[in-house]
Amino acid sequence: MNGTVVKNQLIFDFASGILGPAKSLFASTYLELNSDASKISSTFENMLGESLMDNENIHPKNLKYTDCMNNENFKSASNLKDPVTSFFGNLNNLNWNQVYKGFKEYTASIDDVDELKLIKMDPGVSVPMHSHAGKEYILVLDGSFCDEYGQYSKGDIQINDQKIKHTPIASKDTGCVCLSITEKDVIFFGRYGSFLNLFTFIKSFFKQK
Amino acid sequence: MQKSNLNDLMKRIQKDRDEMAFSQIFDFFAPKVNAYFIQNRIKFESSEDLTQEVLSTVWVKSNLYDSTKSALSTWIFTIARNKKIDFLRKNSKINFKEEDIREFLYLDREIDLIGENEAKKQIERINNELDEQQKIMIKMNFFENKSHKKIADELEIPLGTVKSRIRHILLKMQEFLR
Repeated sequence: MNGTVVKNQLIFDFASGILGPAKSLFASTYLELNSDASKISSTFENMLGESLMDNENIHPKNLKYTDCMNNENFKSASNLKDPVTSFFGNLNNLNWNQVYKGFKEYTASIDDVDELKLIKMDPGVSVPMHSHAGKEYILVLDGSFCDEYGQYSKGDIQINDQKIKHTPIASKDTGCVCLSITEKDVIFFGRYGSFLNLFTFIKSFFKQK
Repeated sequence: MQKSNLNDLMKRIQKDRDEMAFSQIFDFFAPKVNAYFIQNRIKFESSEDLTQEVLSTVWVKSNLYDSTKSALSTWIFTIARNKKIDFLRKNSKINFKEEDIREFLYLDREIDLIGENEAKKQIERINNELDEQQKIMIKMNFFENKSHKKIADELEIPLGTVKSRIRHILLKMQEFLR
């Protein structure tokens, strides 16, 4: 599927409010970091706002405007931090899990549908070639990485499906921190492939318990 | 009601906490917001509670609205949408592990990267490109969040046609949303 179509689908679904919590956190971080994506989302929200303007009227039966004026239990929540920081806190203080040398991850349990993960790769570190059983969304939070398809910097998003096999390498200068959503577990190829697949399998086995 | 009137009313609320102005905003938006929840398959008792929450937010947090950055209807739509998400989440069978993740997702995201005028132009261009049925499909798909199957049933057209037409609309919109 065309990458742009999938990206926009993510933005439209976010604007419509139909994404689960993990994907919502992912999408709102994407909009925070990527001004082009944010513009698309704004336009789309404006279109949906127009739909509200022209919407039919179904009058509430027992509601008067005064009922909406003495509502004191509204928190004046003001959150100026970005979604990732608000949710994870300072990334340096997380209890990272080292998968192999130079590659760490931190998995967040937000919902049962998608797996939300932070990935940290040291400068120059690569991931063995793999493809994906389900869709994988990767958003660069800091630094950059490249693979067979191009270079991805802060605010860029890569969406991978079954057809794509790739070998990401973190930038030699900056390394790379990414936020990822995995819909299903990854399938590895190459030298360590069968071992990593076994690892993934065992991991998923324990997760089900 | 004209958009400019709505904006004037909103200004009066922001500046003077004008209750009569709020009653007019309420009269205009409450039935539309209530309808939005019902269209999104939320039952009447709950839709009314949610409508109250939305309009309360408009009153209590009126200072967060900036008319140079978005249309009032857009701001109110995003509030209603977020309430809907919260509601569906609380009533979902899916097991959510973090209680309050929604709160920081949307609240203060600034939807101000394009001003209202620019958005208006883009929307006009998109609207000119779409025929009536396509507009209805967008509303059903993204505003009312109906499944493709449901849209096919209601419009009495084949499911495949709905899928391909919505895909076509998305591609079309992409050309303009750049």
